[in-house]
Amino acid sequence: MIEELEIILETTSKILQKHVNHSLRQNIVSENTDILNLWNDIEKNGLPKISVKEKFGGYEIPFFSILPLIKIVNNHGTPLPLSETILSNYILSESDINPPNGIVTFASDTKNLQIKNNMISGEILSVPYLNLTKNLLIVHELNNVKKAILINEINGEIIHKKNFLAEPRYNIKVENLNIAEMKPIKNNIDFNFLGAILRSAQMIGAMEKVVDLSINYCSERKQFGRTLSKFQAIQHQISEMAVELSASSAALSTITELGLGEKNSNDTAILKIRAGFAAGKIIAISHQVHGAIGFTKEYELSYFTKNLNSWRNDFGNESFWEEFLGKRFLEKNNKNLWEYLT
Amino acid sequence: MSKFNFPFIKETNELSNLRKEVREFITNCINNNEFTPSPDAWVFSADPSFSKKIGSKGWLGMSFPREYGGHQRTALERYVVTEELLSSGAPVAAHWIADRQSGSQILRYGNEKQKSSIIPRITAGECFFAIGMSEPDSGSDLASVKTKATKTKNGWKLEGRKIWSTGAHLAHYMIVLARTSPASEKNRHEGLSQFLVDLSLPNVKITGIPDMTGQRHFNETLFDNVELSDDSLLGEEGKGWKQVVGELALERSGPERFLSHFTLLDSFINEFRNSLIHSGTKIVGKLISEIQTLRRMSFSVASMLQNGESPETQAAFVKELGNKFEKMMIETLREFSNIVPLHEWPNQLQNLFEDATLRIPSNSLRGGTTEIMKGIIARQLGLR
Repeated sequence: MIEELEIILETTSKILQKHVNHSLRQNIVSENTDILNLWNDIEKNGLPKISVKEKFGGYEIPFFSILPLIKIVNNHGTPLPLSETILSNYILSESDINPPNGIVTFASDTKNLQIKNNMISGEILSVPYLNLTKNLLIVHELNNVKKAILINEINGEIIHKKNFLAEPRYNIKVENLNIAEMKPIKNNIDFNFLGAILRSAQMIGAMEKVVDLSINYCSERKQFGRTLSKFQAIQHQISEMAVELSASSAALSTITELGLGEKNSNDTAILKIRAGFAAGKIIAISHQVHGAIGFTKEYELSYFTKNLNSWRNDFGNESFWEEFLGKRFLEKNNKNLWEYLT
Repeated sequence: MSKFNFPFIKETNELSNLRKEVREFITNCINNNEFTPSPDAWVFSADPSFSKKIGSKGWLGMSFPREYGGHQRTALERYVVTEELLSSGAPVAAHWIADRQSGSQILRYGNEKQKSSIIPRITAGECFFAIGMSEPDSGSDLASVKTKATKTKNGWKLEGRKIWSTGAHLAHYMIVLARTSPASEKNRHEGLSQFLVDLSLPNVKITGIPDMTGQRHFNETLFDNVELSDDSLLGEEGKGWKQVVGELALERSGPERFLSHFTLLDSFINEFRNSLIHSGTKIVGKLISEIQTLRRMSFSVASMLQNGESPETQAAFVKELGNKFEKMMIETLREFSNIVPLHEWPNQLQNLFEDATLRIPSNSLRGGTTEIMKGIIARQLGLR
C-alpha cells in the first residue's frame, strides 16, 4: 500500500504542477474550463475516491494514510475542494452510502435544521465551493443518532457569501430539499475530529509553501546592497516559522501513523492547536518579510495566508481544543499529569 | 520546507515496561527519603551515591557496548529512562553530562585505552564529566576559543581557561576544545582538537562561580601549563570542530530541554486541580499540547541517533521549542496567581515557582543560545 500511495502522490504532484497556477486561483467558477480540466484529470486518477471502499469503486486507502496527499494538494494551492471531497466521500463510504461522482463538499455547521419526509430545511453554513457542485454532505444528529446526509441537488437561497477568504464559502437557506440518502454514521467516525485533522493537514501543506515562498523571496530581494536573507533579523524570523511548522508536522505524523483510536484521541486536539498556532505565526511573519508585494492580489502568498486564516478557525480553533484537552485531563481522571501524559 | 521531518516513533510495550520499572524505583527512593524532587535537577542536584545506584540498575551508558561495561540497549530505552528521571526531579546532575554526551564522544572518537579505562566507570556511575567549550572570551562564538594545546616531547601542554563549566568541581574529567594550530584565513574551524583531561592533574585549578540563585554549579577551570600525556588527544588532531558539533547534537535534543521544571507543573496541577477545572482548562490544555509535541519530537531525534543519523538541526528545533515552552509555562503559572494569589500558594510550591522564575533565563543560554539555534536553522534553510 505504501508503494501504491507513493505512486499516487507522484501522479498528483504532476497533475497539479501541470494545471495549477495563480491565475487559476483567481477565477474559481464552474464556467472556467481550466478548472473543469483540472477536476477531470483529478477524477480520472481516482483521487476523490482514494479512501472509498472498493465496492464503491474506491482505492480503500485509509483516510489517515492519505494525509500526505492532502498536504500536497494544498501545498500546490489547488483551487478546488479536493480535500473536502476526499473526506466527504470517506464518511459517505464508511456510512455505506455510495459516493456520487464529481465534487462533494460539506457543511461545517448548520442552524435550525429540520428533517421531515426525507426532506431537509434550515440553514447550512460555511460550505466551501458550493458554486462548483450540487453534491453536499451534512452530518447531523437526529434522535441521538449521528447521520450522514447526502444531498445531490443542493438548491436554496444564498444568505451569505464570504469573499474575504481565498476559497469561496457560502451560507445557504434550504426548504424541503430532497435528501438523496441518509444513514447512521459509525461510532468511530467523528466529523468534528476528522474535519480538524483535514484542516490541519491542509494548513501544513500550505505553510510549507508559505515558508518556501518566504525563503525564496528573501534570497532574491536586495535592500541596502544585500539580499534580505543576509540580515540576521530576517534569518531569525524565518527560523521561527520553520520551528513552528516542524512542530505541526510532528503532530500530523502522529495521526498519520496511529489514526484515530480510543487511546490517542488527544492527538487530534494537539494537532489542531499546534497547526492553528503555527499558522498564526507563519501568516504574520511571512507577510512581514515579504513587505508590500505579499499584500498584493497578484502575488500568490496571500492566497495561502487567506486560506490559513480560514482553516485555523474551522472545526474548533486553538482555544476550543485547549479547553477540550484541559477538561478531559482535569475532569475525567485523577492521575497526576506525568502518568496521564505517558 | 519538508526537509526536517520528525517521523512518529511508537513507544513499544517493552519501553512502557521499562518506564514502569524506573518509575517504581523512583517512587521507592522518594518514599525512603533518598531524595527530594527538585527543579532543574540535571544541572543543580548532584548526588554521587544516587548516580552509583542508577548505574547499578543498568541505567547509565545504556546504549554503550557490553565490552565496555555498557548495556547495548537502544537510544529509545535511554530516552525513556531519562524522561522518568527528569520528570521526577531526581538528583542526576553528577552523571548527567558523562552519560549524555562525553561517554558517546569517547566511544566514537576515543582510542582503546581511553575507552576501556573510562567507559566502564561512566556506566557504573562513578566517573563524572564537565563540558570544556566556553571560555571567558568565547561563548556563542565557539570557534574563537583561545585555550591552546602545544605538542611536547611526551605529549601536550595545555594552557587556557574554560568557564561556565557546570559541575567541574565534582567531575573527574573534562573534554576540552583547544587550538592545536592557528586558524586558517579561510576556515576558522580548522586547527581545533578535543582533549580528554583528567581534572586531578597538577596545575588544573577549579574555582566556583555562584550563579544568580546563589548556588554553585558554574566554575572557572584554569589550565596553567598542564602536562597531558600523548593519548589525551580525543579523536583526530585538527578535527575538533566536527567532533564538537556532533557532541552538541547529543546535548540539545533531550527531554531536559522541556522537562527541567516539570516537578513545578506537576505540583501546581495537584494543588490547584479544583480551581483549574473552573478557570484553567484552557491553560492546562495548552501546556499538555506543548509537552506532548515536544516529547514526540525529542523521541524522534533519539531514534535518529539510534539509526546513526546526525540530527544536529533537528536537535536545534527541539531545543528552541523546548526553551520557549518552559518560559511560556512559568509565565502561564504566574498569570494564574490572578486566581489564587501567590502568597496563598503552599510554601513548597511558592519555592518551586520562585526558583524556576530565577533559573529560567539560563535555559535559552546553556547548550547554545536561542540566537545560535536560529542561526543553525537558518543555515540549513539556505539563508546563510
